[in-house]
Amino acid sequence: MRKRTLNRGLAGFWWLTLAFLYLPLAIVVLFSFNSTNSAANFTSFSLRWYHRLLGNEQIISAFYNSLILAIVSSLVALVIGCLIGYGMYRHRHRRLGWLIVLIYLPIVLPDIVFGISEMAFFVQFNRLTGLLEPGLGTMIIAHVTFQIPFVALIVYSRFVGLDPSLFEAAKDLYASPFQRALHFLLPTLKPALISAFFLSFTLSIDDFVISFFTAGPESATLPIYIWGAIKKGVSPEINAIATLMIGAVALAAILSLLFNRQGRR
Amino acid sequence: MSDPMAGEAGSRAVTAESRPREASSIELEGVHKRFGRDTVALDGVDLTIQAGEFFTLLGPSGCGKTTLLRILAGLEEPNAGRLKIGGRDVTDTPPHRRSVNTVFQSYALFPHLSVRDNLAFGLRMRGERAAERDRKVAEVAEFIQLGSLVERHVDQLSGGQRQRIALARALICEPDVLLLDEPLSALDAGLRGQLQVELQRLQKRLGMTFVFVTHDQDEAMVMSDRIAVLDSGIIQQVGTPGEVYEHPANAFVARFMGHDNLFAISRSEADWVETELGRLQLDPAEQRDAQDGWLLIRPETLELGPEVPEGYNRLEGFVRERLYRGSRIEYRLEVNGQPLMAVASNLGQRMHGVGDSVTISVCPEDLVRVAS
Repeated sequence: MRKRTLNRGLAGFWWLTLAFLYLPLAIVVLFSFNSTNSAANFTSFSLRWYHRLLGNEQIISAFYNSLILAIVSSLVALVIGCLIGYGMYRHRHRRLGWLIVLIYLPIVLPDIVFGISEMAFFVQFNRLTGLLEPGLGTMIIAHVTFQIPFVALIVYSRFVGLDPSLFEAAKDLYASPFQRALHFLLPTLKPALISAFFLSFTLSIDDFVISFFTAGPESATLPIYIWGAIKKGVSPEINAIATLMIGAVALAAILSLLFNRQGRR
Repeated sequence: MSDPMAGEAGSRAVTAESRPREASSIELEGVHKRFGRDTVALDGVDLTIQAGEFFTLLGPSGCGKTTLLRILAGLEEPNAGRLKIGGRDVTDTPPHRRSVNTVFQSYALFPHLSVRDNLAFGLRMRGERAAERDRKVAEVAEFIQLGSLVERHVDQLSGGQRQRIALARALICEPDVLLLDEPLSALDAGLRGQLQVELQRLQKRLGMTFVFVTHDQDEAMVMSDRIAVLDSGIIQQVGTPGEVYEHPANAFVARFMGHDNLFAISRSEADWVETELGRLQLDPAEQRDAQDGWLLIRPETLELGPEVPEGYNRLEGFVRERLYRGSRIEYRLEVNGQPLMAVASNLGQRMHGVGDSVTISVCPEDLVRVAS
């Protein structure tokens, strides 16, 4: 009897936690479909704010910036992070454990510190060389730097989970170094790489702070646009953008999780 | 499973078509291997393995047997020495260019590939055509009687099935030499015993040179034509199972082959030795070099009973423990304060009880001198 009460209590707690996490999101999603611009009363269902989005050139351009930034930076981070992850695995027996800290550091560093550092770096670099005007280019570099550790760790943990004699079996079965990469390493890593790509993509789409410090006048992303627009008050249009972003990020996160799980099977 | 590797159709296919080549010999000369600055894994190994031989590297963990196997495979490079396979020097040949295949202890089946693609992997890397690969895969799958499994994923197989697939994946490439790194150690005792026999038969049928690594002396004796016993990176003895078991080259080999009855020799003359058991007559032919060393008494050569045949050594002792093993009975005896083990076949004779005094007789020709 008492056990049942306890279980009910725990179940209630679970739903409360979920509500705490998702109610604010639900409100944004709900009001993005409101037919009036009231933030307090839901009048009736309408897609008018979504239509308005399509007509807003600033938003469309911010959307494309976000997308290009996320895709390009994720792809670059994938290549570099994959190589680092493989290197970490290959040389895991040498006493290089302290190097891992260098990989972890960007993950735990506060975004604002990271963003300011990047900005300071780009300003100095630009002053000395005249290259790298603030814009999508600098943002891509900044995003790649914080995505690399995640990719490297996913790749590394995939390798660590493998039977080490698989690498030797490939050699033993006549695979040249190039064939080993093509027929063993890449197929084995595929789920991990796809998972890492979607995780990087999500991190990039989500990011505001680092983007804010490294963006140029023409390269506002959606989060930067929202930040600017919100100063004039929350409009249902912002709710609509937010809803779209929630959808996109949730999708990428779910895909990342699915592929990661598939890789571990 | 009824002895799939002995399948008639399969054996014909593999012997007739897949083994046009002669088996290859292996020669190792002065092979040294160090790990780091001061871990010596192999300390000057000279060894010749005959073509078509079932050769076993036997020793405790860390003795260097696996390192030696990995040097044969090319997965480890020796710091010094040469290696020839089939008369050709392959010391500097990378593993993917050696006609040598390995059955790994963990089987090392690729998890991203089906059974079929695992079997075909080596052929594919060597650039064989798809039609040829399919033919060989079908042939070998039938041979190991796992044809129904080829479309499966590796993680849907049992341990015994994986073991067979790993073996088939290595054999399908028709290597000059097949290396087996404790391939049976992960299996339960019953399946293991069955596969020991199957592997040995398979090797005889194919006539291929097999190099097998194990730490299990029974397994080594059952399967091998010859055994090399290793310790501390040095080959202690090379010989047939009979030679290694009955005439171990030194005390280490004797102990490793499971002998308990070893007694330090304190004095020796042409035809007798003195040990803690007392003075024992030896066959003069067993004299060899007259240094001190150890006397080995195999437990199965001891006879318990009141009569001592003419010319036999006589010992007096008592039974401290008796272990009933079904087909045989083990007696832990005490003679002159020394433990001595005797084994008698269980022929229904009267058993000696714990505490009984017994007269022990042993033929001088059964006593073996073993170097330190």
